[in-house]
Amino acid sequence: MATGRLPAVKWVLLEAAFVVVVGAVFAFAANRVSPRGLALTRNYFPEGTGRLVSATPLATLPQNAAGTNSMALDPAQLLAAELKEKGLQLADGSQAVQLFHDPRFKQGTVVFVDARGEQHYREGHIPGAYEFDPYRPEKYFDAVLPVCKAAEQIVVYCNGGDCDDSETAAILLRDVGIANQKLLVYGGGITEWATNGLPVELGGRNSGSLRNPNK
Amino acid sequence: MKSGQPNWNRIALNLSSVLVRWMLGAVFLYTGLSKALHPVDFLKLVRQYDLVQSSLVLNSIAAALPWFEIFCGLLLLAGVAVRGTALTLMLMLVPLTVLVFHRALAIESALAIPFCAVKFDCGCGTGVVFICAKLLENFLLILLSGWLLAGYGRQFSLRFDLIKPHPRQGEVGEIRE
Repeated sequence: MATGRLPAVKWVLLEAAFVVVVGAVFAFAANRVSPRGLALTRNYFPEGTGRLVSATPLATLPQNAAGTNSMALDPAQLLAAELKEKGLQLADGSQAVQLFHDPRFKQGTVVFVDARGEQHYREGHIPGAYEFDPYRPEKYFDAVLPVCKAAEQIVVYCNGGDCDDSETAAILLRDVGIANQKLLVYGGGITEWATNGLPVELGGRNSGSLRNPNK
Repeated sequence: MKSGQPNWNRIALNLSSVLVRWMLGAVFLYTGLSKALHPVDFLKLVRQYDLVQSSLVLNSIAAALPWFEIFCGLLLLAGVAVRGTALTLMLMLVPLTVLVFHRALAIESALAIPFCAVKFDCGCGTGVVFICAKLLENFLLILLSGWLLAGYGRQFSLRFDLIKPHPRQGEVGEIRE
């Protein structure tokens, strides 16, 4: 029985090796032809991006002076400190609202940049915000860069919470020449914005379709 | 066995084994597709495990893994190279389950909550899940892969043994009516 099994094991191992090789070829080819495929050589996370609370196992978070985990800190303080370390500034909810109602927003010198994917953007964004997916930047640079260069203040946001796409987008914009002091990262993101009942634009930019238009 | 009388136990075993194969194939097809359709989201989840520093390796894992799962799912659904595929899936599931377990332990310790209360998106293609349910699910998937590896699920397969030319009579899993 045991001697009869050995060849069978050999065939199964050979078959598994075949599956692995052909599967790998299929997988890379499919990624190559897929319109959503990843570019293997691109660094999707430029130096300095990645939020501490989401990018590393939570148990490895630094301990504060009292010996307790950093998670015990106020999340806004922790985020502000992390952003400061990366040379970025945090905008809180009231600051974001203030900038939204600032006359410069209508003039185009205060700009909101939505750093989420296309689908999320279409499902609802801050009215007038520019779409800028930091993982497909080449698609958006033409529209976003001239606007950002002309702006005095740029508010970049994503979903809020653990989402660090706004940081990635801000760093990307800084890397292509947008002045650091113009950039603000709105930590609460669209989640906080919508929860506070502020206007949300559906579909494309300036579509005119608004939720909570009077706020 | 008396001729002319169907062996209902064998028929039931054969059919349930085929269902296992189809179910396992459908699971991997679904989880693979859900990742392949949102590769950047999957890339970010893989990155959270902090496994590799090289962006090329990280991108390769996130780009290939979903499509590899789809490939394995299709093989199981069609019944091609079933035992080789089942072995591959087992070898993939075991280390992935260990990784998910380790990350859950880290979250448990950081948040000081019971282990089974830990929930997060492990990048498994099923969104945010409670860890105990996820581990149970993976354990079940490993068991079912082992079932197919033992040679069951031969019915309705295009080419169960892709490489082995002549399956021997009486081998485990060769359940003939």
